[in-house]
Amino acid sequence: MKKLTVMMLGLLLAAPAVAEEVDRTLDAAADGDVDISNIAGSIEVTGWSRSAVEVTGTLGRNVKELVFERDGDNVTIQVKVPRKAGRGTDAELSIRVPQNSSIDVSGVSADISVADVRGVQRLQTVSGDVETQSFGNDVSAESVSGDVEVEGDASDTETSISTVSGDVTLERGSGIVRAGSVSGDVIIDEGSFSRAELGTVNGDVIFRSGLRKGGRFAAETVNGDLDVEFSGDVSARIEIETFNGSIRNCFGPEPERTSKYTPGLELSFTEGKGDGRVEMSTMNGDISICKE
Amino acid sequence: MTDRNDDNLLQAASRLTTDISPERDLWPGIARAMETPQRAWWTPMLAQAAAVVLLVGGSSAVTYIAVKQPAPPVAQIAPELAFEQVSFGTGYELGDEFVKARHALIAELEVELKRLAPTSRAEVAANITVVQDAIYEINAALEQDPNNTLLQQQLLSAYREELTLLRRVGGLTRNIMMRNDI
Repeated sequence: MKKLTVMMLGLLLAAPAVAEEVDRTLDAAADGDVDISNIAGSIEVTGWSRSAVEVTGTLGRNVKELVFERDGDNVTIQVKVPRKAGRGTDAELSIRVPQNSSIDVSGVSADISVADVRGVQRLQTVSGDVETQSFGNDVSAESVSGDVEVEGDASDTETSISTVSGDVTLERGSGIVRAGSVSGDVIIDEGSFSRAELGTVNGDVIFRSGLRKGGRFAAETVNGDLDVEFSGDVSARIEIETFNGSIRNCFGPEPERTSKYTPGLELSFTEGKGDGRVEMSTMNGDISICKE
Repeated sequence: MTDRNDDNLLQAASRLTTDISPERDLWPGIARAMETPQRAWWTPMLAQAAAVVLLVGGSSAVTYIAVKQPAPPVAQIAPELAFEQVSFGTGYELGDEFVKARHALIAELEVELKRLAPTSRAEVAANITVVQDAIYEINAALEQDPNNTLLQQQLLSAYREELTLLRRVGGLTRNIMMRNDI
């Protein structure tokens, strides 16, 4: 009988703890900082009109603790896991923050999704996708292996988006953009920029946006194609060069061979008054430059 | 006895004349030789041909070494990932500071990669290889066309991309992992 009791107790202790549901709220500043980190799972952040931060979701059975605390204008949300944690450390978090908050979100194997947050955003994950909207404050979003997508509202902002193996997309962005990927594509669509710096190694760069008066546009790839279609008038000095790729120019001037011994092409011309500057180069990709 | 012999020898030597005139005037011959120097067996043409052969041979040897037999890797931090010595065509070198920074980042990456999940680690390694392949390809093209400024810029960009990638992976992983939550 004693043996049976010990065995039953052992089995009970060895049985995994169950996942825990979370639903907690703290008062917060209307335009404070919210610092969020979650190692694995997902982080969904939404701005709302209340001056409070709410955390709902599920904590994996091996999560040690959810830290949720306020210090002045700063709110911290941290999913703590044991140092030698294995499975069961995922947390699926849905967080609501005051709309004008600035947020700093970190994950390791976690997707990050943000909506209706109007403050500065700094989003980073190692393995996961990042998706957000921008509303006139700076956005920095990066992943190592995952896609990064930002949707602007056409108000000026500085957007830095990068990933290593995924695609990077910015729609309706405005102001300044810096975007890059190693093996993925960079897609900038429906925006208007005073400065754009875009680059990939093997991915393509697709730019379908406007370049403002006096604006600067620089795009570079090693093996990817550059496909640029400016919306509206362009006024810039344009310089394009390939080492081993073609150049298609809808503005008129024809490219010339850089040397009679190599297949490279170059093209320099001025469009409009030449206020701005456009520089594009690739080693093995093809370049197309047009106007809508 | 020896001292006396030495004295006799010195006296005899002092009687020898110190100014010996040649049997005939040699200067006209010397002047003629200076005006029309004897041609070397290898003419300037031959010298140029030899220079070309040396240049092509040397360049081919460098290319062969660079392309076919790369230098031993600086570091091999995963079975699928090795970092070669930096090179910049045949005529240029990347500065010590760059090399030191790269070594430091590679060492840092070695630590940080171990913290990543196997799938993420493999993906990072695959993308570092993408950048390294680009560097290799641009370097090979630069060997053939050393003064091509586009290639030089591309190679600089590719090395910069490699550094950014190392820094981003190492830094991002460390920043997140060093937080109190782990």
